[in-house]
Amino acid sequence: MDKTKILIIDDDPDFVDAVTPILQSALYNVVSASNPTEGKKKALSEKPDLILLDIMMDSLFDGFSLCHEIKTSKEFESMKDTPVIFVSAVKEMTGSRFQFKGEEQGLRGPDDYIDKPVNPDDLIARIQRLLKK
Amino acid sequence: MLDKKPVVLVIDDEESMRDSCSLILAKDGFQPETAENGIIGLEKVQDVKPDIVLIDLKMPGISGFEVLDKIKEYDPNIVSIVITGYATIESAVEAMKKGAYDFLPKPFTPDQLRIIIRRGSEKKRLIQETERLRREKMLIEENFITMVSHQLRSPLGTIAQYFEVILGGMVGKVEPRQEEMLAKARDRLKSLMGLINDWLDMARMNKGQIVDRLKPLSLKEVLKDIMEFMQPSAQKENIQLELVPYSGKDWVPGDDETLKQVFSNLITNAIKYNKPNGTIKVSLEETEDSVAVNVEDTGIGIPEEHLNYIFDQFYRIKKNDEKKSSGTGLGLSIAKKIVEAHGGTIQVTSEIGKGSTFTVFLPKTSQESRNS
Repeated sequence: MDKTKILIIDDDPDFVDAVTPILQSALYNVVSASNPTEGKKKALSEKPDLILLDIMMDSLFDGFSLCHEIKTSKEFESMKDTPVIFVSAVKEMTGSRFQFKGEEQGLRGPDDYIDKPVNPDDLIARIQRLLKK
Repeated sequence: MLDKKPVVLVIDDEESMRDSCSLILAKDGFQPETAENGIIGLEKVQDVKPDIVLIDLKMPGISGFEVLDKIKEYDPNIVSIVITGYATIESAVEAMKKGAYDFLPKPFTPDQLRIIIRRGSEKKRLIQETERLRREKMLIEENFITMVSHQLRSPLGTIAQYFEVILGGMVGKVEPRQEEMLAKARDRLKSLMGLINDWLDMARMNKGQIVDRLKPLSLKEVLKDIMEFMQPSAQKENIQLELVPYSGKDWVPGDDETLKQVFSNLITNAIKYNKPNGTIKVSLEETEDSVAVNVEDTGIGIPEEHLNYIFDQFYRIKKNDEKKSSGTGLGLSIAKKIVEAHGGTIQVTSEIGKGSTFTVFLPKTSQESRNS
């Protein structure tokens, strides 16, 4: 049986380095990309089962528009049901929950959000929940 | 905007006046519109969105003054010029007090009309330019803060991530002494991240921005969301968090994001300073001109000498218990800033050993509609 494959798209290689052991401990295979272009290439070539997407790469919209593309464009037809989790360095407890304002601009949003730093158990639980669907 | 002809609406019951003004204005490079009375005039304002309106004060039906008022209410940036009938100073002065930019006494020559309309047009141009610059400034500030925010938070997030993974034993066994030190480092990092978040909040908090974003909001819905969001943290400390059922008025002009920040801040404090197995009751009340939200806890209470200062920036009550003295001291001052930007007030009552109640009053109507 093929191991579940997770694609991390994040411009910080250290973050990828830190999160990889978490995913490997849950027996996932990990592939990564450090920018939206590479991310798209790897999404098509590696066909991951789930994508972790950093929303603040070059500009805030890199993550949003990439997510929208993966979920709606013809090029990614084969990936349109692949779950996407936004990862962002946003406050956790202070209540100003990150709100996906992209909907107002007609962008398709992610399947879930998680804040940096991710709690290992929380991350695995969310991934499992999305993969079950 | 430079290519578009400025639109001038002439509201006058005399046909000859409307016609001659239209001719003069068209020749001078303006786009004339007309209306024969106040009611039609007001409809046309919403229709053609004029830059300048010329209003005859002496019209049958609704008065020129009323039209002036309603235009100001609809769009305060429209330049209004009143035509006064008998060149009485009183009506001209009254019109200016009501916000008219200038007045034109009858009878007037084409040149006089041209001069006053051109001045009005220049005024309109300046208003638009100011608005444009203000928005640009806001965008630059927002972008700067966003960039700083990202550049500070991103590496800190990664450092914190390394801590999580190491302490979680995912890259090898961690000896007790190592764990102890790493955990302390991680906690200091968390505090640092909290501090940066708070400072960025303060920097980003701009009263003008909040006032611009106010729209009708259901406080019940806002609180329901917050309760859901805060339940896990309350449960973690064995605190019972409840929202008291309410069936009164709860709609206020508000900004969803910042109000949620206020209430989650109050509830976070209520959890932090509560007694074990304590409770937090969130309730709504209606007063004559506000809706009030109470956050009541069964905590240790706040000594009376501190009550006047706890909304000050960086004010922290020194506590012996280390857990309780964490935090930046900015939370309540941020909350106060947000509430005041909404035109409201925040208050606290407290009894040592019994608990505290923070109350946020939010006005039922916006400042603008109350002032006009």
